Amino acid sequence: MEEKPTTPDAVPQWQLDLDKVGFVRRLFLARKWYGGDWWFVAVSAVLLLFIILLGAAPQWFAPYDPRAEVGPALLAPGEVPLGYVLVVPAGSTTTSIKDIGTNKNNIGFVVGSPASQALRKTTDELNAAEKEAGTGITYQPRPRRYETNELGLADLASGKIDGFVASMEELEPLLPNFPGVKVVGNLSGNTRTFTLGTNQLGQDVLSRVIWGTRIALIVGLSSAIAAFLLGVPLGLISGFVGGPFDRILTMLMDSLYSFPGLILAIAIAAVLGAGIGNVIVAIAVLYIPTYFRIVRGQTLSVKNDLYVEAARSLGTPPWQILTKYILPNVIPSVVIIFSVNVADAILTEAGLSFLGLGLPPDTPDWGIDLARGQDYIRRAWWLITYPGLMVSLVTLSFSMLGESLAEILNPRLAEL
Amino acid sequence: MSASLRKFILTRILLTIPMVLILITLVFIIMRILPGDPIRSQLGPRVTEAQANVLRERLGLNRPLIVQYGDFLWKMITFNFGNALTQGERPIKQELAEKLPATIELSVPAVIFMAVVGVWSGAYAAKNRKKPVDYIFRLLSIAVYSIPIFVMGLLFQILFSVRMPVFPLAGRMDTLMLVNFDSPTNFYVIDALITGNWPALGSALAHLALPAFTLGLALTGVFVRLTRVNMIEMLQSDFITAGRARGIPERRLVYQHALRNTFIPILTLIGLQFAALMAGAVLTETTFSWPGIGRYLVERIELRDYTAVQATIGVFAMFVAGISLIMDILYAFIDPRIRY
Repeated sequence: MEEKPTTPDAVPQWQLDLDKVGFVRRLFLARKWYGGDWWFVAVSAVLLLFIILLGAAPQWFAPYDPRAEVGPALLAPGEVPLGYVLVVPAGSTTTSIKDIGTNKNNIGFVVGSPASQALRKTTDELNAAEKEAGTGITYQPRPRRYETNELGLADLASGKIDGFVASMEELEPLLPNFPGVKVVGNLSGNTRTFTLGTNQLGQDVLSRVIWGTRIALIVGLSSAIAAFLLGVPLGLISGFVGGPFDRILTMLMDSLYSFPGLILAIAIAAVLGAGIGNVIVAIAVLYIPTYFRIVRGQTLSVKNDLYVEAARSLGTPPWQILTKYILPNVIPSVVIIFSVNVADAILTEAGLSFLGLGLPPDTPDWGIDLARGQDYIRRAWWLITYPGLMVSLVTLSFSMLGESLAEILNPRLAEL
Repeated sequence: MSASLRKFILTRILLTIPMVLILITLVFIIMRILPGDPIRSQLGPRVTEAQANVLRERLGLNRPLIVQYGDFLWKMITFNFGNALTQGERPIKQELAEKLPATIELSVPAVIFMAVVGVWSGAYAAKNRKKPVDYIFRLLSIAVYSIPIFVMGLLFQILFSVRMPVFPLAGRMDTLMLVNFDSPTNFYVIDALITGNWPALGSALAHLALPAFTLGLALTGVFVRLTRVNMIEMLQSDFITAGRARGIPERRLVYQHALRNTFIPILTLIGLQFAALMAGAVLTETTFSWPGIGRYLVERIELRDYTAVQATIGVFAMFVAGISLIMDILYAFIDPRIRY
């Protein structure tokens, strides 16, 4: 057992131990040495795995195609679609269109209304099903056309027709005036509900939210990787070479860094036009200075260390000093930045598409959905709440990962 | 003003010049050298090449790049941005001057909220380190940082404008009131105060509340974290221990002795947060239909008004340089060590 430090100023034992192990072992062993918040890591890891799975295979989770118009527009979460309903006299025992489907029955609707198409569509579907089953039954009720819904309902109440078809929205204000009729239910028996509702085009919100993960991850990861691939070598070389090259590059990067990121991205995206590749470029440019500054700073502090000096005096070529001696010291801080950057990039991407820049309008993307949902904010809260929660969840888990990585790789932070 | 301070301010002002130059050059590179033809996108595909060339000539886009660059630089420095391409082709300078007060009216309360709430919560969390309160504050600050500002704004709109109609949904003032409201400075709150128009003041404040709160809250997250870390460091320093030994009440130690010494990093962060503030203002203004510079920029991008977009982004760049200059000078006032 090694001697424990006795003065409070001395470096704690866990820190000395930590300096001896490599990057990967540090990740796994760090928990033993400091009272870090391991649950932070655990929660963010589980969340991230789930999110990556969602983004990698959205078709496994999404019930519908995100672009398909699968239901009525603006259906609330879990709400039963009303659509076209069948109305019968109050005393009737009819439970569905099948009971009054023969050519002796009369079914009424308003002339020229979509209700007639709905009725035809339903009988066609029923007939096709019967044909398949080989029962020989055909449903062909006699149509009765009316000028208005009121006239039809009046005839229905007096028993002149057996049923009446209309949309629930039209019927709702009329029904109190006709106590002699009752609503049987949805015409086609289609009572499919949508867990998170539908949007103004009748697209499934859940499917769009799930498919949006893919776009967010693609943009977030690729722009962070692109910025990483450009920023790290630039920072390494700039810090290592020094001189006027370093000064000019630093000044450039500093001014790029001081510019409000989103506004820079807006400018680039506006000039480049819509397209996922352009968005990635616009966002990647923002984060190059972040890597550059960190890597350059680390390089400057490491490059005069004794072991680098030793390598140099042994005649190691400069690029080997860079890759074998300096780079490994720089990587841990870059990993933290990367994770935070992905979160930031996803936020920026959502911001860009919220402003109507960047992605083509039919893309299943959270920012686009949010911008469209804003037009329906008084009627449809679910259009905003769910994509909004999803963006926040994804950025939250990447930020939490960055936070916990920072604590593990740099345990001094955990002390604070 | 001491000689050293004067010298510092002078050097700092001189150092701002290359920064402004680089930022303006950056805007020029983005707007002119990146692929993409602004004139084509403004006119649409059906306009002939000859017609496009007429517009190019009018805007001077057919000249050599270096001449264009000099022209652009001159326009930016003299604040004479030319006329917009759309919406009545008014001088851009005049349009920006009309929009700027709205943005400032939104930003000032947001910054005050950020500084007061952020510093207080950070100090409070530091005082109660490793207690549940501390964890709650840390989690909240990460959450606030992770929720996009426009999502926050939209959720507040749903909660406080649609579900519980406490605050108006969007805009700066009730439309009916706006008809009879004369605003010489375009600061609605100030104008209403000066003219003693109390209903207008109430309306302006009610409209201001949600956007300013959203913007302020979104900026607070980073603030809480920085104050907390600095305070914890400060609370472990010798002078606090000495103060504690002398029996100075803990409250006074935390909120007076320690907090005062963390003001320098906090001030730095306020300076850095201005970039986030500008980006946040663009999104907040779009969410709440707040007629400021950010919304102006987004509108003109939609209209593909190339000259207006370029000028607005240039103005943002000069803001950045100006704020960093002001912050450095403030710094030198507070901490004399920085002057040397």
